[in-house]
Amino acid sequence: MIIELIQTFLLLALAPLVTGIIRSLKARMQGRKGPSVLQPYRDLLKLLYKSSIRSRDSSWVLSIAPYVCMAAVIAAALLVPVIYTGTFGLIGDLLLLIYLLAIVRFFTTLAALDAGSTFGGMGSSRELFISSIVEPTMLLSIFTVGLISSTTDLGGISMNMASTGLDLIEPSLLLAAAAFFIAILAENSRVPVDNPATHLELTMVHEAMVLEYSGKDLALMEYASMTKLLVFFTLMANIFFPWGIATSMDPIALAIGLLAYLVKISILTLAIAVVESSMAKMRLFRLPNLFTMAFILSLLAVIAYYILGVA
Amino acid sequence: MSFNDGLIRKISSMAERLEHRGELLHVATSRDQFVDLVDIIHKVGGRLVSLHATDERATAESFMMYAILDHDGCLIEVVSPVWDGVPFQSLVPRVHAANWYEREIQDMFGLTPHGHPDPRPLVLYDDWPQDTFPLRKDFDSSIDIPRIPREYKYRHMEGDGVFEIPVGPVHAGVIEPGHFRFSVAGEPIMALEIRLGYVHRGVEKLSETMPYHKGVILAERISGDTSAAHSAAYCQSVEQLFEIKAPERAEYIRTIILELERLYNHLGDISGIALDTAFAVPAADGYVLRERVLELNEWLTGSRLLRSINTIGGVNKDIDRDKSAKLLSHLVDLRLQFERLSSTMMSSVSMLDRVEGTGILSKENARSLGCVGPIARASGVDIDTRRDHPYAAYPDMSFRIPLQKSGDVYARTVVRIDEVRESFAIIEQALDRIPNGSICTEFTGAPIKTTALSLVEASRGELMHWMIGEEEKPFRHKIRDPSFCNWLGLELAVRGDIVPDFPLVNKSFSLSYAGNDL
Repeated sequence: MIIELIQTFLLLALAPLVTGIIRSLKARMQGRKGPSVLQPYRDLLKLLYKSSIRSRDSSWVLSIAPYVCMAAVIAAALLVPVIYTGTFGLIGDLLLLIYLLAIVRFFTTLAALDAGSTFGGMGSSRELFISSIVEPTMLLSIFTVGLISSTTDLGGISMNMASTGLDLIEPSLLLAAAAFFIAILAENSRVPVDNPATHLELTMVHEAMVLEYSGKDLALMEYASMTKLLVFFTLMANIFFPWGIATSMDPIALAIGLLAYLVKISILTLAIAVVESSMAKMRLFRLPNLFTMAFILSLLAVIAYYILGVA
Repeated sequence: MSFNDGLIRKISSMAERLEHRGELLHVATSRDQFVDLVDIIHKVGGRLVSLHATDERATAESFMMYAILDHDGCLIEVVSPVWDGVPFQSLVPRVHAANWYEREIQDMFGLTPHGHPDPRPLVLYDDWPQDTFPLRKDFDSSIDIPRIPREYKYRHMEGDGVFEIPVGPVHAGVIEPGHFRFSVAGEPIMALEIRLGYVHRGVEKLSETMPYHKGVILAERISGDTSAAHSAAYCQSVEQLFEIKAPERAEYIRTIILELERLYNHLGDISGIALDTAFAVPAADGYVLRERVLELNEWLTGSRLLRSINTIGGVNKDIDRDKSAKLLSHLVDLRLQFERLSSTMMSSVSMLDRVEGTGILSKENARSLGCVGPIARASGVDIDTRRDHPYAAYPDMSFRIPLQKSGDVYARTVVRIDEVRESFAIIEQALDRIPNGSICTEFTGAPIKTTALSLVEASRGELMHWMIGEEEKPFRHKIRDPSFCNWLGLELAVRGDIVPDFPLVNKSFSLSYAGNDL
């Protein structure tokens, strides 16, 4: 129980650092020094000291959205194995996780419409347009791993895969991982889907929806999306490639688990930074091409499992 | 540069007075003939360079309206009187490019165009009283103007699922103020209306109170990144008025700083286009190059934005042999880096996918709106003041004028990339051939009675300063920034594109708000 709590706290504590490292790596690739990797912590702290201002025309939806989003993300964080395969899996499995993340999206888009500003409405419509294709992709790809390890419990998946060993690397797993990587880009508003660094409201997707927040509310929304990114990274690291994770409470195994986790997260962080630096953002109406491709990949993963895996 | 005889005969049959003044053909006509005369020149391919008025009630007992046209390398100035309280016949139904000019005349002089399809205010604020006209001579700028709340009527589109998106005038980035109103059906843009005037400072009125030597300083501040071009145009027009000529060495130095200005602006625009597609690495590289040119400017002249170089009668700063050699070696290095940057940008599939086919301005529209500069050249309109009406040392330079046909963001990027290459070459030629001698002639004498017109190809396109002089200061100073001609092009170019592509199209136009609003 203690380990499960500790690993969730670890995830929550590392989330701003990951965002900070991505920004710093991108800055280096652009030939800039960029702010310290700790800057997101400072930003969040600064925002927490400030009061929130809400539009007079907004309703309770806008005021509760940050709390709902934060709570849902923390609940999701409780479900994923970080350094140890044990989780609070009793409260739910991967389906719950997907729908916890859907709650975040639902409330973010609803709140963006609530204030009645133009950009919020535009952001919401784009977000839902994107997620209508990305959500099934995400479901199918995680589901493939569930099939391989014959459980939908995230800790269980991780446990089964890690203990079976490298024999489990099969086409369906790689296909699903590829699909899931594209889903990570889309779900977390990264280039080529969205540009987290832009100030151009008309091009924004996620940022357009959080324009209305300020102070503590903004801190919660920002922190929620940073945590969401790390939850996705952790899923990729420990569900698709769980090797190295601790399967027992043995201190040495836990230490190896921590090390393996940090290495895997660093690789993903670098991958995101490289993708964001090496290409332009896609045209909005070109995105369905990318997402359909991801969806097909995840569908192939499931089919490949039945054709190759069962035999 | 010879006029077509048939055209001349036609013009002279309608003119009251016809006069050759150097490069310029001055045609005085009656009010009734004005529209027909301009239309005739327009029909044979004449491009409207400017349309503006003067308040000459003190001497000629009327306002005067001047149309400047460019036909096949010849400049024609058509002038006719306009009277207070008598609406003048609008040119717009026949010459679309006259649209904003006539609205500006209406705002500033209180002369109403009759038959103008869109006679709303253009430059003055919404709460400016409707009976106060700043450019009239009897306007007293020392009095506080009472503000009368009034609402500007935007064009509305109605229909199922049609929404309006208002953006600005205050934006999230550090950019100038302007209001954009989109009518959209989902993401596709059905129409865009641009409302400017938020940085109207009354530059033309101010200039009428500025002694000539101070006017240069004012001109440098019309549009920050066009300091060199504006001051060069100002100085050239004053030099014309006083019939003085800058020494040849000064003309070469002017050419060099004008090209340096084009360099840093084009580099900024090219990087901006990359940045707006979220292609951050080449954008950062491009901004580094721009910064290097700015630093080079400071080292060479003492001013990053090339201010205080141009002066009436020549230039203030010389480029000695030492500096010239160093500048050349810097340019070689910059050139190499620029080639690397342009090949990274233009070979990236994801980048090309964003810019190709986005924001198309057709040649027909570019021509009918009178668009200028890289915007016009990217749409296949072959105009460049440096070749068509050479000034400074441009007659001695050999350079190519890049043209593209597709009129999209891609074409505008490529035109700028090619122009950067030409600018490098022009600076090298100028440094190579720069003659010895003084850099400034004395500014003395009295102004001639006629008008002075100077055209300069700024980085955004053809820039015009037009002047009627008095002893100490201009009687009337008309400034026409290239942006004034191109804003309407933007409205047309984004039609049918999607909303998230607008910032990219806007960036590729790269228009000045301050230069437009004056």
